[in-house]
Amino acid sequence: MLNMEQHRGSAVRTPINGVPVQKRSKSYRLSYGSCLGAASRFGFTPTLTARRFSTTRRVSKLHNVKEKINADQLALLVKMEWKLSYVTPLYQFRHTKLKSYSRQLSVFITAEKQQGLAVDVDRVQNSYRVSFSLVHGMAGTDDAETVLIQVHSKHMFAKKDEPQKLIWSGWLTCMNGNSDYLGSLPKDFICLPLFGSSGPEDLTSLVQSWFKQNFDCCIGPLEISHTSLQWLAALWTNCHNEDNIQHLKLIWSLPVAPPLQITYTVDPQDAWDLWGSVRKGSGAEKVREEEEPGKIIDIDEVMSFMQGLNSHFYKHFRLDLSSGSLKEVATSLGSAKYNGKIKISNSKYMITTLTLLTEGALLKMPI
Amino acid sequence: MAEMLHLSVTSGSDSSALSDQSASSRVGNRSLRVAEKERRKNEAEDPFVAALKYFSDVEAGTPVVGNDDFENNLVLVEKVAYSRGLHPEAISIMLEFAMSLRMGTTPCVRILKCLIPASVVPQEAVVRAWVWLTVGKIPTSTQILFIKWVLTVFDMIDGKDHLRAVYGFIFSFVTDENLSPFICHVLYLLTRKESVRVFRVRKLLELQLKLGRQPYLLHLLSLYKVFCPELVTLSIPSRLRSGFKNHNNPWKSALSAVQKRNGCQVPSSTSLLFTNKDKTASRKRKHRHLELPALRSVTIQMDQTASSSISSNSRMVVPLVQVHSFAELLENIHRIELPAQMGSLLGSSLALQYLDCVQDESALLRLNFWLGFALHEEFLFCGDGASQTSEEALLFLNKLLSTQHFLQEGFFSSEAFLYKFLNFWDGSLFRPQILDLLSNIPVVPSTKIGQLLFEPLMQLFFTSSLFFKCGLMECLNSMLLKWLTWHSVYALEDDLDISLNSHTSINMTLSGFKDSVMKLIHFVGRLASVGLQLEGCHSVLLSFILDFYETVCDTFLKYGLPLVVVPPPGVFYPALMATDPVSVDRLAYIMHRYKVNLMSAKTQEKVTEAFYISRQTIREFNHYMVVMVNCLWNSKMFHPGMGVQLGEELLLRSNVAQHWRSFDLIHHPAFLSYAVDFHQRCWPARRDMDLNSIKLAKPWSWYLEYLYSQGYDGLKQIVPAH
Repeated sequence: MLNMEQHRGSAVRTPINGVPVQKRSKSYRLSYGSCLGAASRFGFTPTLTARRFSTTRRVSKLHNVKEKINADQLALLVKMEWKLSYVTPLYQFRHTKLKSYSRQLSVFITAEKQQGLAVDVDRVQNSYRVSFSLVHGMAGTDDAETVLIQVHSKHMFAKKDEPQKLIWSGWLTCMNGNSDYLGSLPKDFICLPLFGSSGPEDLTSLVQSWFKQNFDCCIGPLEISHTSLQWLAALWTNCHNEDNIQHLKLIWSLPVAPPLQITYTVDPQDAWDLWGSVRKGSGAEKVREEEEPGKIIDIDEVMSFMQGLNSHFYKHFRLDLSSGSLKEVATSLGSAKYNGKIKISNSKYMITTLTLLTEGALLKMPI
Repeated sequence: MAEMLHLSVTSGSDSSALSDQSASSRVGNRSLRVAEKERRKNEAEDPFVAALKYFSDVEAGTPVVGNDDFENNLVLVEKVAYSRGLHPEAISIMLEFAMSLRMGTTPCVRILKCLIPASVVPQEAVVRAWVWLTVGKIPTSTQILFIKWVLTVFDMIDGKDHLRAVYGFIFSFVTDENLSPFICHVLYLLTRKESVRVFRVRKLLELQLKLGRQPYLLHLLSLYKVFCPELVTLSIPSRLRSGFKNHNNPWKSALSAVQKRNGCQVPSSTSLLFTNKDKTASRKRKHRHLELPALRSVTIQMDQTASSSISSNSRMVVPLVQVHSFAELLENIHRIELPAQMGSLLGSSLALQYLDCVQDESALLRLNFWLGFALHEEFLFCGDGASQTSEEALLFLNKLLSTQHFLQEGFFSSEAFLYKFLNFWDGSLFRPQILDLLSNIPVVPSTKIGQLLFEPLMQLFFTSSLFFKCGLMECLNSMLLKWLTWHSVYALEDDLDISLNSHTSINMTLSGFKDSVMKLIHFVGRLASVGLQLEGCHSVLLSFILDFYETVCDTFLKYGLPLVVVPPPGVFYPALMATDPVSVDRLAYIMHRYKVNLMSAKTQEKVTEAFYISRQTIREFNHYMVVMVNCLWNSKMFHPGMGVQLGEELLLRSNVAQHWRSFDLIHHPAFLSYAVDFHQRCWPARRDMDLNSIKLAKPWSWYLEYLYSQGYDGLKQIVPAH
């Protein structure tokens, strides 16, 4: 496997003028809600065209996320790399019954771990302690509250007084989910489409099967698509002014034999300059729209940003990256991989990122 | 304990009753007994009766050893038992004699082994025997033998209510290590929801702690879990699915022999298997979305009514898991509890019966989420194509199809899936299944139909084999048939809003529906015209296309839809010029049906103004009709005004004599052989064949008669022979 590295400070600097001047298309304020609305006569048969990725994205910098979310929970969310899944709406899930769920899940895990031995629900001497908790402040207006699940356990040969250790954690969230979709669900369904987990895989599958059995939902793997990764690259670069992103690392894979993987690392300042150049000219238009300038990012800007990066790469290596697919994006603010692993290192940009991922999860919904 | 006390009293005095119900049944028994006595008087000399009398009257403490009376009588009973089986009364007497240890423990085993029932086993006798189990000093091995006997004849016991009444009593034996495997089995057979109690679960859990993981405890616990999932948390290892062992060894052969002789076959309950899902394919799959979830009852909802108040409310509902027959389903239809995972319904035909009458939106949505998820994950999201040809996928699709056929309705999640899948489909992967699924989709609004259906289908149609084209034609015909059937079922005369899909209650106006149907018919017309050209008017394809128009021509009369759409020329002419007589005849039949429909619509139009048939339609139809009659009957093929016109010079250059005749019923390529045949029959002596001579008045009418007699009814209906 060939690994081409473009380290920061290398001889070539990312050109600012290398970007073809794009005629800016009008920034459609069309949310995919309207598409769904058009299909609403279908009841629950939205069509292929009904749900689409947003073409514009608001950069919501919720600086107060630190004040709203419990510090411990936030620390946990920021610390781990999460493996993502999508979840179909949960039937009869109640946020008021988290305590009982904690007990049930711990009993379930114990029972599954000791196959063929019934567990006494009331007098359980659990080796697994499960806690469900609400994460206050992590939800949009129509969204259900985020739920955090933690599994603690003692080592098999641990001493009596040794505290239980956190061995698995996961969360279910819905961040600014499409309100038309959420609104179309009957009352006894709770939509928490994005599921992140971190810990041993066998526990992940146990927790998932408990959810499947009790809330009649389906859980499938969620990849972070090529487009989502491009969005993340742009969104993170957009933050460079406030928080140094240190580097913008993109990993591409090209469809040649043998497969070629390319790691493309861009100097943060270069990336920022390039980003500024593709956003140039948008300012006037945005102001006219009476939006705060720079708050709305259009898909075209993202595309020309990527195109700029690609054409620069092409100049030097005669390799057209656009024929391949983006597999990974990383900055100091976080990293995201095609296989659905994400790490959000900076809580400031968590909401934006989760909104993007929620959208991806909702897109995967079968109906 | 209370139950035990109560019972020991019962066993002491025969007259005290367990309950009112049992008292009444006892009265019944008594009258039976009177009849029996009568019979006995008549058969006073019957040695068997005398033997039974011996066992019922023999005094306690009579010695066994050297007792010839006892020996002779027992041999007699055994002889009867092994040949004919024992009647209920005899069973009662012998069981009572054995278990009461009136003559000690020695004869006990021998008697138990010969207790072969001829018909049924009286419940009372079994209950009494259970009681004797605690009173006497029966050796453990004999106790086990008795329980095994109960298990063997369980289905022949004439009632289970009294046995259930002493559930707690029987349960108390479970602590006996020797008996507990068998007791668990008996309990398994007797358990009802009300018998599952916290203290019993506790007791079993304690036993489990003491004895380790025993399969019989697990089986009983898993049944408890079915009834009260909130009380038992248990995961059953996959290797442990087989159920209880059979214990019918001592009786098996004798019992079956007796049953064969008596001509009745009581199914043995001992083969009772787990209701758990049967083992799926042994091969491990990487992805398991196609696996149906197990039918399981809800755990969590119970939890909210704290353990104290589980009583009235939740006990009234019957989990679907416990419904085993259609009769039970009917009995409990008002209080069925849906399973925890709706996907499990697909696996059970009984559950489907229920699903058919469920109008619960949430329940259907749950099912659809699951189904859609499985379809998407398997066929759309699954990157590796290897799994797509798997047998599981085929089984799954077939199961889905049979479900949809059963419900006579498609699921909207499979519909949504199809719209996406059609864009990726290669037209060959699971072709029969996908086309069948496609034919089940409900009416698509006319504004969406092009994008959702026509575009992907058109691409597939023009790039696929003849085989696929025929398949798609058949599929579209069946889709149209289903739409029309929906219409004829749901459309009410006044209320034109028809709920096409009762579950999603999409309201569609009649005109909206008509638009969709019309678009579909026009679409198929386009496909058919081009398809026939591409495939050189292949007669198989033509046949599928004519199938479709057989549906189309009758929309008004058969389905009450005020719509008449005639076929495009691209279909009409290839059918008219077809080289096989069947196609021409079918075209004639279709034209005849159009005529009948149009005439009927016309008369209705005058009365109710039901709908207005456009002049254009009638003109087109008339034109086709004229062409057909002129061409086939009147030999005016290339006359001016006909559909097919060729320049005069061109016709002359072709050197075809009397070209206007070349497509009449005599010279038409499809009928030429009939003309020749007719000619030979009519004028067997003639050496030179002159087909034109058929055209003369007399032979012509004979010829038509002859054609019609060959089964060409379509032709006959257009121009009846005089």
